[in-house]
Amino acid sequence: MAESIKHPKDLPITQPRYVARDVPRAEDPMLLTGKAEFGNDIQLPGMLHAAILRSPHPHALIKRIDTSRAEKLPGVSAVLTGQEVKQWSSPVFGIPEGWTGYALAVEKTHWVGEPVAVVAARNRYIAEDALELIEVDYEPLEPVVDAVKAARGEGPYVLEGKESNIAYARKFSYGNTQGAFDAADVVVKEKFRWHRSSGNSIETCICIADWDPVTNMLTLRGSHRSPHLILPAVVFSLGLPSSNIRIVQSNLGGSFGVKTFARYVTLISLMAKKLGGRPVKWTEDRIEHMIGNSSHAWDRFYECELALKRDGTLTGMRVDMIDDMGAFSEWLAVGQVIKPILAFGSCYHLPNFEYDTKAVITNKVPQGPMRAFGLPPHFWVLEQLMDMAAKELGMDPIELRRRNLISKDSFPYELPSGNVYDSGNYEEGLAMLIDKSGYSELKHEQEQARSEGRLVGLSVVSSIEPGLTGPPMLSLASPRIFTRTSSPEGVLIRIDQFGKVIVEVGFPEGGQSQHSFVRQILADYFSMTLDDIRVITVDSLTMQPGTGPISSSLAIALSGAVLGAAQRLTDKLARVAATMLEATPGDIEFFDGMFRVRGVPEKALPTMKVVMSMTMRPDLLPENVDANPEATYVWNPPDRSIPDEHGWGRYSVTATSAQHLCMVEVDRDTGMVEILKYVMVDDCGVRLNPSVVRGMLLGGLAHGVGVALLEEYVYDDQGQILTSTYMDYLMPRITDVPSPEQYEMCTPSPITALGVKGVGEAAVHTAPAAILCAVNNALEPLGIRVTEAPFSPLRLWNAIHGRPKA
Amino acid sequence: MATNRTVQLRVNGVEHEGTVEVRKTLSDFLREDLGLCGTNIGCEHGVCGACTVLMNGETVRSCLLLAVQADGMELMTVEGLASPTGELHPIQEAFREKHGLQCGFCTPGFLVTTYKLLQSNPNPSLDEIKEWLAGHLCRCTGYEDILESVKLAAARLRGESDAPQPLPKSS
Repeated sequence: MAESIKHPKDLPITQPRYVARDVPRAEDPMLLTGKAEFGNDIQLPGMLHAAILRSPHPHALIKRIDTSRAEKLPGVSAVLTGQEVKQWSSPVFGIPEGWTGYALAVEKTHWVGEPVAVVAARNRYIAEDALELIEVDYEPLEPVVDAVKAARGEGPYVLEGKESNIAYARKFSYGNTQGAFDAADVVVKEKFRWHRSSGNSIETCICIADWDPVTNMLTLRGSHRSPHLILPAVVFSLGLPSSNIRIVQSNLGGSFGVKTFARYVTLISLMAKKLGGRPVKWTEDRIEHMIGNSSHAWDRFYECELALKRDGTLTGMRVDMIDDMGAFSEWLAVGQVIKPILAFGSCYHLPNFEYDTKAVITNKVPQGPMRAFGLPPHFWVLEQLMDMAAKELGMDPIELRRRNLISKDSFPYELPSGNVYDSGNYEEGLAMLIDKSGYSELKHEQEQARSEGRLVGLSVVSSIEPGLTGPPMLSLASPRIFTRTSSPEGVLIRIDQFGKVIVEVGFPEGGQSQHSFVRQILADYFSMTLDDIRVITVDSLTMQPGTGPISSSLAIALSGAVLGAAQRLTDKLARVAATMLEATPGDIEFFDGMFRVRGVPEKALPTMKVVMSMTMRPDLLPENVDANPEATYVWNPPDRSIPDEHGWGRYSVTATSAQHLCMVEVDRDTGMVEILKYVMVDDCGVRLNPSVVRGMLLGGLAHGVGVALLEEYVYDDQGQILTSTYMDYLMPRITDVPSPEQYEMCTPSPITALGVKGVGEAAVHTAPAAILCAVNNALEPLGIRVTEAPFSPLRLWNAIHGRPKA
Repeated sequence: MATNRTVQLRVNGVEHEGTVEVRKTLSDFLREDLGLCGTNIGCEHGVCGACTVLMNGETVRSCLLLAVQADGMELMTVEGLASPTGELHPIQEAFREKHGLQCGFCTPGFLVTTYKLLQSNPNPSLDEIKEWLAGHLCRCTGYEDILESVKLAAARLRGESDAPQPLPKSS
């Protein structure tokens, strides 16, 4: 339906005024004045505050827990322990099924930071005091810290009742990879290591639960990324009917994946159950966010090889990858292991590949989703191997890449895995990057610097951001649960009695600007002004079927939903207009805000007149039209399929592409990396609001700088986490992030409404590869290559000065 | 254990008096007791800068101060920037126009520090802006548009005639 509007020029208006233009955001005034409501701002009458006692041991039996002193502390209302959680709930949701535990440790603890007890008290201060009064006797067990050993099947085993720590293992094989390697002229291989980091939204997780024992109604507030994602997880773990749960939404202070899951929602709900009707708020502190939540992502050991012909043609790739999932394979996190098959060769034609994966359980923080959902490390290893191959072949690394780019004539391009890139023009992207960056001049500068003994490096890399992934990919981890191809997104549009348009969206604002672009689309669609459109976020009992803004889906899914609903609504109004104009509905067209009889320009009615007639003169309504100027529409991605037994399927909808150049200098004395130049060419189809897209790309670049150079969760060999504050986990600051040159390309998607592509996860796909490859290029004169990210000053200094790994 | 004290302070030009536990942080006091929830709390250990407010004209991290330390002080929070009639401050205008925010959670801290920066130095260099804002974390914007916002705000506050004019109030 909505797909008939393939481009802004297809909107029913002579000249779109808002779509694809820089338009100030609707969200900003509330945020700038401190008036926006975030979860932590909510105070309810009689509300208590929760604090969580966390395990100091990575792996220990809980021999005894005594909460009596804590319960007696004045101001404390209740203490929740594992036995109650076990009695009142199921283990939290996760795929593959059976690799999680309860929301609170019951018989034993699984990582340092796992919740062991919850206190509810008059305020957070007293609740935290009470934690110190809880006595727990632990019997430490041998921790599982080494993921590679775990992948070999060695014990001990982390989860109760399991005789293995391997939650997921699958070898994906596409094409004839063995043949490609047998016939290769050149093979390059390397091992890589990618460390844990996390999304670290500046707002931590907030949950307010209110469980009325009389009606058995649970009301949840707080920082929930999407009620569509939280609700099933809560239904699953609490066994409560969905109609007994109401999730009310507040603005989010960022998520980057962290707030899509619900372990803590289950936990705080159970605390509320125990409180018998008093609401309770949990405000996660930063340390808890870093060690207690399911927030860490991508802790990987790679062994990879690339096969090429003498002329540089890429013929095959093999990747063995072990991902340390931490203590649980929770929620959908394991999807991050699988996602590389959606874009295995990035922008390059890669006809054969094998991907042998293992997701293993250890005594560490469970992984959760993070922005870009597992692709960035893969693109780094691919690009690093390309640089190694170029050197081996004696070929310019850019020429090698150019020869392997997927040609602009091959779209829609089908990967060996069955996934499809909808459109693109990577040759033009690369050419633009080389031209705009002044590459040959930079190359000259680099040679000059090298002759002075300076360590200056250059890289040119590519990436693909698959837009809107989901159930088909997840069925590879859980075929029983994910038997669907849908990723619905629904909206309701209503025109009120004064002619204003109200739009109900099922998930809250969290920086993605959906209120703004929905206004832009509808203002153009109805030929109104932005101020005539009001977008609101509704609760889980009111929302349409939906998914929420995950996996770079927002612009694709929501614009499709909004246009679908707008078309339904105008179709309905056209029937009323037809009666008013004494024409047949088929003769009515809607354009420039007018319902008019095709070919008879003087017979036309503005939208408002039709709405007024519809609502005020029911006696004049045509048959089967009610007096209700509203419509809903649930958009779904077209042409996806459940993968077959070989892992062949249609997984994502759009393919956003990027070509980035990075120039760095490494200081030999300190190991510090300075980014001298960063140039981005990005193609995400039509940009609904170019400044919003530009901002997301910049944010993705900063995130990429963080994971490439700074951010790292470190565990010691006993499973203790050594990085739990911003003093030791380094977030990128304004002084760490470069001011890039940004260039836009626009290859509209032929599939989506308005030609948009997903771009929310953005440059975090590209920047790590660009930076890390540039650093290794800088180190080339020293004959060293660093293969463990992030490239922290210490790690680089050790490499430069020939010291063993820190 | 906990003892209470009475604190008197002026926030955004309004006198407040409250009885507060001596251990209560200034950020919690502002948010819970005074209802000024615009000051957001991000890390509670003084690194992210989201909770920055002005106390007697100096930027402070309200998560690292106790409410009792603000007794007798004059404070300004993000709520003190816009006029009561709804006119955004030129700094807020500039952040809006230059897309200096996305989720907006860290923004109050950036605005307050920018306010102090431009009061102390109406014509800061790029490096000076970065130095002032290096104590603030933003995960959404990559900082580039924040830099542009501060530069625009500075130009407007200096009254430069070629500074772009602010947007109309709505839209």
